[in-house]
Amino acid sequence: MLDQAFETLKTYDWGMDPNVLRPITDAIVKSYGDAAARKDLETRLIAVLKSEAPRAAKDAVCRALQTIGTAESVPALAALLPDEKLSHMGRHALERIPAPEAGQALRDALPKVAAKLKVGIISSLGVRGEAASVAPLQTALADSDAAVVSAAARGLGAIGIPDAAKALASAMPDPKTKAAIDGALLECAEDLLAAGKKPEAKAAYGKILAGKPSKHVELAANLGIKASS
Amino acid sequence: MNKNQSTRRDFLKVTGSASAAIAFPTIIPSSALGNATTPPPSERIVVGGIGLGNMGGGDMGAFLNNKSVQYVAVCDVRTGVRNGAKDRVDKHNNNKDCTAHTDFREMLAREDIDAVHIATPDHWHGIMVIEACRAGKDAFCQKPESRTLREGRLMVEAARRYGRVVSGGSQRVLEDYRALVRQCWGGELGPIKSINVNVDPLSQPCNLPPQDCPADMDWEMWLGPAPWAPYNSKRCDGNFSTSGNSWRSYTDYSGGGMTDWGAHHFGGATYVVDVRELQPSEVIYQNEGGKRFLTFKYPNGILLTHNMPGKGNMQVEGTPGAKREAKTIPEYAAKGGISADFIECVKTRGKPFRDIEYAVNTVAVCHLGIIAYTLGRSLKWDAAKQVFIGDEEANRFLDRARREPWQL
Repeated sequence: MLDQAFETLKTYDWGMDPNVLRPITDAIVKSYGDAAARKDLETRLIAVLKSEAPRAAKDAVCRALQTIGTAESVPALAALLPDEKLSHMGRHALERIPAPEAGQALRDALPKVAAKLKVGIISSLGVRGEAASVAPLQTALADSDAAVVSAAARGLGAIGIPDAAKALASAMPDPKTKAAIDGALLECAEDLLAAGKKPEAKAAYGKILAGKPSKHVELAANLGIKASS
Repeated sequence: MNKNQSTRRDFLKVTGSASAAIAFPTIIPSSALGNATTPPPSERIVVGGIGLGNMGGGDMGAFLNNKSVQYVAVCDVRTGVRNGAKDRVDKHNNNKDCTAHTDFREMLAREDIDAVHIATPDHWHGIMVIEACRAGKDAFCQKPESRTLREGRLMVEAARRYGRVVSGGSQRVLEDYRALVRQCWGGELGPIKSINVNVDPLSQPCNLPPQDCPADMDWEMWLGPAPWAPYNSKRCDGNFSTSGNSWRSYTDYSGGGMTDWGAHHFGGATYVVDVRELQPSEVIYQNEGGKRFLTFKYPNGILLTHNMPGKGNMQVEGTPGAKREAKTIPEYAAKGGISADFIECVKTRGKPFRDIEYAVNTVAVCHLGIIAYTLGRSLKWDAAKQVFIGDEEANRFLDRARREPWQL
């Protein structure tokens, strides 16, 4: 059954019954805790990813690797990142694989992809929340594309560590990016407050207020100032 | 994934309630201050609707009929639905002023709009509610409010951060289970031990064949943050089926019956046994001869079971003969159902009956259950940190990557 499912996977395309892949998902569940069985499954999935299999097949592989992928899967998944059709599903797995190699692959791809795909990669880096992503996201804050800048700001807000707050505080907002930068600074300031770093939090809130934010942001920042005093 | 979010949540719990109160003199729109039977348009809550098919159309009717509402904008990715909604609003308002949008961000950019109601497919809810909060709008979001656990947490954080009134959309939580709530909260059954919910099915992978996309459908916008897939009418149909004929059947857009009716039943159950403010600490997975069922354990000892053999839906186990102090039962803030409750809270900056935190706690039960069934094992849940304990693989299911350019 499993061999047949992997054989079918090689030509799996839109319109085929998804139950033909059920033996693979069943094998994933059954092999929990069995490192050898998991390695075998991962190796076979990676082989499909490297092949000329249809898009639907590679989508299915990425969904499976989201659950069982390790550092071994990262190179094959990273190869999808510049591909406009497959980049998202590559991230579907890479965003959730805890191995640090997954985060590094996303950071390595960032300067090499088109602006639209950059936004996606930045989003995944924010979700992963790794400190190593602060520097590349700070670089992205200076991008000429407002969508990239806003995404980078939100990514830094999601990471929320003091260096992320510093990067945001040094950003040069324009009307298109100001809301994202203010919102991200609020998120960072909340994390700073939670970490007991009141002076740093107060500085972040002060930075927001100095930029004449919208009223609801101003309210949030004023409450933050009060909490950090 | 390596951040401890619990402390941020704690801070927002403190400031969230404060911001709602303090917001009144600075944020509350002048339109909120009128309280005549039929206030003039300038004194009403200015509302727009996003996603106006089956549920959205119903919600729109409720908001249009609320005399405190001035309905001014509609948004839908289907031209026919969008134009129909605009015509309905214009007819109601006796003018041609309602604006029609394909992209909800245009609507959120309107400074005159105070609140939006959202009834899109579930995979859009998190982004839209969070963006509404960021834009300073209050929001009423149909259930199930989130598509992932992480999304739910961020929705609550956004509401608290920006001092927004955000209500979930399950009217059944109060209206279907009121009698049972009275029994339990009134002390009639003694201290409650457990309650059972029966609801099915889980959603399934979708691999429907490509069809020609109708000219009046913006397919990219319908998919939004979900993985790209070719158009198929069953993939995006908004009917209430969960067996393959609608988006509610498929994992990229919905949790199936487990989240769709689950939001009602689990919401009712957690209300009945008074654990709305909590999330389970453990999910026990059992499979007896192919019959799969769950037991959610709450930190206060309450058990919530799912599809427990031999138990009926909403069957409560109390403690006969034992006394329990009666408690005041919360109700809507205004007559007119859950939408009227929301509008009243927009005016007063109060907490709606289906406050987003209660709604998210309910949908968290659904998501925790789906993950336990998907992985086929029991799970321990740290509700404060919003992570599974000792199960790295389960933590991969806390969220899913969004298709560019969409981001939380």
